[in-house]
Amino acid sequence: MDEQSQTKRGPFSYLFEWAAPYKGNYAVSVLTAVLEVLCAIVPYYAVSRIVTLLIAKEQAMGAYAEWLGVAAVFWIASYLLHAVSTTVSHKATFTVIADVRKRMCEKLARMSMGRVMDRPSGETKNLIVERVDSIEPTLAHLVPEMTSKLMAPVVILVYILILDWRVGLWSLVTLPVGLLAMTGMMVGYQGKFSRYVNSGKHLNAVAVEYINGIEVIKTFSQTAKTYQKFTDAVHDSAHSAIDWMRDTQVFFSAAMVIIPSVLVSVLPACVLYYLQGTLAVNDIVMIVVLSFGMMTPLIGAMSYSDDLGKISTIVGEINEILEEEELERPEKAAALSQFDISGKGVRFAYRDVEVLHGVDFTFREGTVNALVGPSGSGKSTIARLIASMWDVTYGSISIGGTDIREIPLKQTNTMIAYVSQDNFLFNETVRENIRKGRPAATDAEVEACARAAGCHDFILQLENGYDTVAGSAGGHLSGGERQRLAIARAMLKDAPIVILDEATAYTDPENEAVIQSAVAKLVEGKTLIVVAHRLSTITDSDQIILVNGGKIEAAGTHETLLEDCGLYRRLWETHIGAKDALEVR
Amino acid sequence: MFGYIKKFIDFAGDQRKKMMAALVFGFFQSFFNAFSLLAAAYALGAILDGSASKKTAWVSMGIVLAGMLGAYFCNCFSIQLETRAGYTTAAGARIRLAERLRYAPMGFFNQRNLGQITNVATNTCESLQETLTRCMVLSVQGLMTTTAITLMLFAFDWRIGLVTLAGFLLFLLVNSRMHKAGEVMSGRKLKSVEGAVEAILEYVQGIAVIKSYNLSGDANKKVSDAIDEENTVSYRMERAFIPLMSVQGIVTKLAGLAIVGCSIAFYLDGSMSLQNALMMCIASAMVYNELATGGNMSALMRTAALAIDNINATLNMPVMDEDGADIAPENTNITVEGVGFSYDKRKIIDGVSIDIPQGSTLAIVGGSGGGKTTLCNLIIRFWDVNEGRITLGGRDVREYTLDSLLRNYGMVFQNVYLFNDTIANNIRFGKPNATLGEVRAAARRACCDDFIMALPHGYDTVIGEGGASISGGEKQRISVARAIIKDSPIIILDEATANVDPENEWLLQQAIAELTKSKTVIMIAHRLKTVRNADQIVVIENGRIAQKGTHSELMEQGGRYADFIGMREQSIGWKLGRTAAQSVM
Repeated sequence: MDEQSQTKRGPFSYLFEWAAPYKGNYAVSVLTAVLEVLCAIVPYYAVSRIVTLLIAKEQAMGAYAEWLGVAAVFWIASYLLHAVSTTVSHKATFTVIADVRKRMCEKLARMSMGRVMDRPSGETKNLIVERVDSIEPTLAHLVPEMTSKLMAPVVILVYILILDWRVGLWSLVTLPVGLLAMTGMMVGYQGKFSRYVNSGKHLNAVAVEYINGIEVIKTFSQTAKTYQKFTDAVHDSAHSAIDWMRDTQVFFSAAMVIIPSVLVSVLPACVLYYLQGTLAVNDIVMIVVLSFGMMTPLIGAMSYSDDLGKISTIVGEINEILEEEELERPEKAAALSQFDISGKGVRFAYRDVEVLHGVDFTFREGTVNALVGPSGSGKSTIARLIASMWDVTYGSISIGGTDIREIPLKQTNTMIAYVSQDNFLFNETVRENIRKGRPAATDAEVEACARAAGCHDFILQLENGYDTVAGSAGGHLSGGERQRLAIARAMLKDAPIVILDEATAYTDPENEAVIQSAVAKLVEGKTLIVVAHRLSTITDSDQIILVNGGKIEAAGTHETLLEDCGLYRRLWETHIGAKDALEVR
Repeated sequence: MFGYIKKFIDFAGDQRKKMMAALVFGFFQSFFNAFSLLAAAYALGAILDGSASKKTAWVSMGIVLAGMLGAYFCNCFSIQLETRAGYTTAAGARIRLAERLRYAPMGFFNQRNLGQITNVATNTCESLQETLTRCMVLSVQGLMTTTAITLMLFAFDWRIGLVTLAGFLLFLLVNSRMHKAGEVMSGRKLKSVEGAVEAILEYVQGIAVIKSYNLSGDANKKVSDAIDEENTVSYRMERAFIPLMSVQGIVTKLAGLAIVGCSIAFYLDGSMSLQNALMMCIASAMVYNELATGGNMSALMRTAALAIDNINATLNMPVMDEDGADIAPENTNITVEGVGFSYDKRKIIDGVSIDIPQGSTLAIVGGSGGGKTTLCNLIIRFWDVNEGRITLGGRDVREYTLDSLLRNYGMVFQNVYLFNDTIANNIRFGKPNATLGEVRAAARRACCDDFIMALPHGYDTVIGEGGASISGGEKQRISVARAIIKDSPIIILDEATANVDPENEWLLQQAIAELTKSKTVIMIAHRLKTVRNADQIVVIENGRIAQKGTHSELMEQGGRYADFIGMREQSIGWKLGRTAAQSVM
């Protein structure tokens, strides 16, 4: 598929693509739905036979019973077919939903990390769980039920036409009139509809703000006012829906009433043809019975139009993830003999804004390197590009002389231990969380790393020691403790390259000393790239790179930079000013 | 079905009148719908007894038209009332939720439950406003119409009435079985959805770790197992329902045939006229129509009932007694007297007493998880104490209304929440009627003015979600400006500045110095300078006060505080680098 055809694809072509593996099931579902309709016609025929017999004053109950039996059998058959049809389509649909969810999850792993993190995790979850779920009614019900509901009127019409073609034509009078009434809905539709949609959006925005900002709202004693804003939005949204309904309802109700009232033309026509002597009583009874059921299914089918409208929105949302760009990496592992890292003319644009404007750097294997600079300078971006969280826009980054885009992601991730401020822990035991660093590690190895990272003591104080569940379920761990666990995990991985993306900057003073000694152990003998705010911690680095405004301002050791670089000197001085070590004694 | 209907009516509150009115109109619509039947009976009757003329044709048409007209108006009113009741009920639920948030203890809120509350206020209420009245009206209308038809048939011929009643009762029996099955299944369904949500959320939040530790295989399995489980349970649920739905449908059709059969039998034994028997044949198909439509609402009713349960569960959050008076304290002396506080049966604060005289600075230090934040939360009554009491200006904080209490406090949170609004309005949140001059003055004192003026729209730049991006340090300073403009006599702050780069840290410290100038200050302190200069220092450990005094007193005493200072100095002097790494170990 090339880009061009992708942009033109409608929502239903995606739906078909997702459902394609279960084509067989949907075909069965449609087929049984068709049979269901055909079966459901038979009881009408049976009843008309009974009526004919009655009119002929047939006195034997047996003759009636026969047709009653036929009607019963076909009603049952029709409902059983319906059950089969919906069961099959539900089975297929739930599987399609599961497939789409899995595809979305897998896709997340192939996207650049940056793109994944751009979207709040709650929103991504909402997309994968709730939004995907909402294609269920359309896919599961629409396929079989649309089929039967659109087909039933046609079959009945054909039957009436066979009985008497003139009456058949008369039975079609209400449909165009009803549809015409519906077009009245379109008057000023756009304006009212957009008011409805916008007030809904506004309400959601206000709700999010009111609920998530409730702490700030309360502490600033703004509850009454913000509450007022919220209630206003609630009322406005409800009223716009009610107004919109009121204006369109007049027309919609008309269509709902007119379309099924086929008898309005059929009944007088039947009487007049009967008077002419061109239509038999039996046929009249039959036509009248059929007329009652003719257009009702069509009304049912019309009620799905809302669902169809929603589908395109939902599919669009799902595709925001599925059609996202992927990081392209080869399958075959690259042969690397050393781990020097170098960047050449690296440019990187984030959301069309270039944040790195062509930077060059080299980090020799086994050295300690620091990236420093004002906030927003791009120093973290360089670290993240090396860790393959994003791809460079122009230029290249290589490890051991091989462009990282030529190295499989798995291999890159094996070489690099990346530790950030985000110390995510899984809802598993502390032991298993550390073991994620190297799944094959023994318990003894896990504990050794926990000791080295200064975790052992606090872990033993937990309710169940190493078997305590961490993650969101175990909220007892402090930020500092989580960070130390993350470091233990990284130590266990024992990767040759370590990237610390502002990882040492944690707040708790007591923990900080422990964390820092844990980090010192983690980096022994490795290539270290540290993104640092606290300049005093990196003064002994082999190389300090000062990043400013997306460019490399200077590189060197602490001493040379202090001498040669004005910006570094200024940063150092403000840091010393903010730092209070010297003031204590 | 009846259980659900009661739940809906209870939930609708004052909207139930509109619901009832919608029902009445719905019932009359069914009545007018029956005009077609009347017209058919009239025309067929005339044909059969040979009295048919052209007039018959026009009269029958007139009857149908009259029925259409009546049905149209009833439908319009019914649906409009329905919409109004549905949207107003959902609006009412939203407002109740918002109202509840006003009185919930602030300590109750966390990222997780705020997300849930937002979801209920937006998505759940949205699904409710569309489904609630529609399924309610349709199912009750089905019951009412069928009851009326049954009664009429009793009047017409009591034997036919009995048959109709039997079919009606059988239908209700199957329907109640179905709802019971639904209740059994929906527990499992809910659990499987929760499982999928948890697994997907963990996967999305942990994706950085999953990728960088090459754990996709394992993590994928966990997620896809959860997705498959949800798929299986959903399918089983449908499997349990669909046969019962079919049986329900079959019951209505067979009962219709039974009416036909009985009518024929009565005609044959001479106890019913031919014309009446014929009419029963035609009418039998329609007797249960409305009932079947109502019965098909079962799935929708379940959705609506689930939404109501969700909303009720969310409304069931803890509330604080808010019956205080609007008090302006005489002074801002704060006392903490023998305070104890437990959460989830865990004692977090135990026997803490502190005097904080007006104008003094209290520094709270201690390890993480010791209770520092909880103590601050109790002072500003984010939670109520379990033992002892806390006073402001000599009066128990529980005597104040929350607003009049919080007027005295300015707070700077660790997590800065800014509204999706202009910078000026975000600052103005601290003092809603502030002029732009006042806003700028506060911003200047908080060292924000320079960077704000450098933004494309200055103070009118919209920030927050979807707005211009500003750094964490800048956000923190804006929140300080917001507190400065509020100008309250007591400042509570968590001195967490470590995530900020040196330039910003320096500015933030200046901003905080401005904020705390000549105020009563309670701070969770990290910087040695602030700790040393505090009038009073308390060391909190395991919820108790381990030490209390001034810096020099505590340094002399030795113990926890002296250790803490020692560690702090060590971490400040710490460096990352080959030699330093070894010196720490």
